[in-house]
Amino acid sequence: MSFFIKRISRRTIVQALIALPALSLFRTLPNADPAHADPHRAGPTPANPNEIVEVNGWILKRSDLA
Amino acid sequence: MIFDSCDAFRAANFAAKVCILGSGPAGTTIARKLGAAGIPVVVLEAGSREFSDESQDFYRGTTVGDFYFDLDVTRLRFMGGSSNHWAGWCRVLDKQDFEPKAWAPDTGWPIRRADIEPFLPEVHDILELPGFRPDVPVSDDIRWVQLIKSPAVRFGEKFADELDKSRNVAVVLNTYATELAGDGKRVTGARLWSNGQDAGAFNADYFIVCTGGLENSRLLLWSNQRSNGGVVPNAAALGRYWMEHPTFEGGNAILADYGEFEVDAVNEAFFSPTPAAMERLQIMNFGIRLIETPYPGVKSLIADLACTAPDMAEWMSAKLSQNLRCAAQLYVAWEQAPLASNRIELSTTDVDHAGVPRIELHWKKSKLEHRTLLEGLRLFGKTLIEKNLGRVRIADWIANGGDYPTNDETAGHHHMGGTRMGTDVTKSVVDANCKVHGMDNLYVGGSSVFCTSGECNPTTTITALACRLGDHLAKVVAV
Ligand SMILES: Cc1cc2nc3c(=O)[nH]c(=O)nc-3n(C[C@H](O)[C@H](O)[C@H](O)COP(=O)(O)OP(=O)(O)OC[C@H]3O[C@@H](n4cnc5c(N)ncnc54)[C@H](O)[C@@H]3O)c2cc1C
Repeated sequence: MSFFIKRISRRTIVQALIALPALSLFRTLPNADPAHADPHRAGPTPANPNEIVEVNGWILKRSDLA
Repeated sequence: MIFDSCDAFRAANFAAKVCILGSGPAGTTIARKLGAAGIPVVVLEAGSREFSDESQDFYRGTTVGDFYFDLDVTRLRFMGGSSNHWAGWCRVLDKQDFEPKAWAPDTGWPIRRADIEPFLPEVHDILELPGFRPDVPVSDDIRWVQLIKSPAVRFGEKFADELDKSRNVAVVLNTYATELAGDGKRVTGARLWSNGQDAGAFNADYFIVCTGGLENSRLLLWSNQRSNGGVVPNAAALGRYWMEHPTFEGGNAILADYGEFEVDAVNEAFFSPTPAAMERLQIMNFGIRLIETPYPGVKSLIADLACTAPDMAEWMSAKLSQNLRCAAQLYVAWEQAPLASNRIELSTTDVDHAGVPRIELHWKKSKLEHRTLLEGLRLFGKTLIEKNLGRVRIADWIANGGDYPTNDETAGHHHMGGTRMGTDVTKSVVDANCKVHGMDNLYVGGSSVFCTSGECNPTTTITALACRLGDHLAKVVAV
């Protein structure tokens, strides 16, 4: 564990923790049909960094969360 | 000529062809147009030259539904009307505001914007405005729009001299028209109240009601009740479809560069949706107003962002150290969907000193409007991302579907609808020329004739409509 902490900065851990609830938020959204997906919400593929997501009221690009 | 009392006016034996009720922007503009056309016109003004508590008391009323301003605070009852404290923001309704919206019932006007455009040069002179700049598209969804911060012309002050010297216009102060009488075809006279007592009847060939966006409905409802439908024979829509511009702080934006958008003299910028975005999302028109956030506000915004997007927050901090102007509060004002249930009624329990029932205003914001607010902020946020201009945070109460706060701006003091313009007599009160359906000599001026409110402040459009009505009446009366 101490090795892990040494290798990863505190900031990265915070980022990871912050991203977690956001990612679970993405998973619960109804998005099976991309044609009817809410364009403001995250889609099924967390890969697209330009995707627009809403987290804690912020309208962000998915890449902003990284 | 300006008379300080009804008695002084009667003693002068001025024979008026047209009687205008109210000397606010609408009444004054129409009077000046008719006077210039050589038509003798009298303007009956309930108040005097100055504000007084006694006069203001006639405006008291109650509101049922959503929180709204006290009705004796949201308007002024003396010469010049509410122009005595308006803020002077000017813009004409958008072209698309006149068009029907398929997704919102009872929208669309019987006239188009092109019908009032010929009067805009006159409006610019009256309101002392520079030329309007066309909208600038920022994205497919959002356009920059111009609201001119004008010198806020006080109609009573600006035109007092001209009216006093006019041989065709008589302004009679302290003279309250408590009701009109009518036979279902014509108005046959007005009942007056002056100096705390009944001041008899008054007659003219034509009557133009310009008593403001709440009072026009009140006066006509009461007159109609007293004359058994003889003043507004088709009264199904009378008092109904009342609208405001609800206005709330909708969130914040961080901006890569505040100078990216053109800002006005007070460092503010305005944005509205494109017609395509409104149609796609089936929302109403809205205006987002960017107001620069003071430094402490920017810091707490960055701290909030750091919890969600640390990199972004770091970028923002860097911007803050380079440039203090990098965040804004977003105030949103929007177009209300016209609803018959939003209405002015006469109180059954409370009357003013002259015995006229006070207003009971029924007003509620609809679900479509909440969606307009939320989707509007989303559109703006998406645009800032697409154009790499910044990021938006939507206020919690909006994002979470909470109640409207009661300590926010609430609305614009813009009183619209109640005697709306239209062709369907069951859903409107006046025709495209502002003439009351079925009546030969009764017209209405002011924003009570608006069918929809658009997103912008009403007085520029009120003044344009008044110029148009003045021109029209000059032709009708001259015949
Ligand atoms: C605080 C505030 C800020 C505002 N800011 C803006 C802004 O920035 N931009 C904008 O476009 N608009 C603004 N407005 C709205 C603007 O003031 C009104 O749209 C405008 O004054 C309406 O003009 P009007 O002539 O129709 O009615 P009014 O100005 O209400 O005038 C009606 C007149 O009729 C008189 N009257 C009433 N009843 C009777 C009667 N029975 N008999 C005889 N006389 C009667 C009244 O005394 C009054 O003089 C603001 C309003 C307020 C209150």
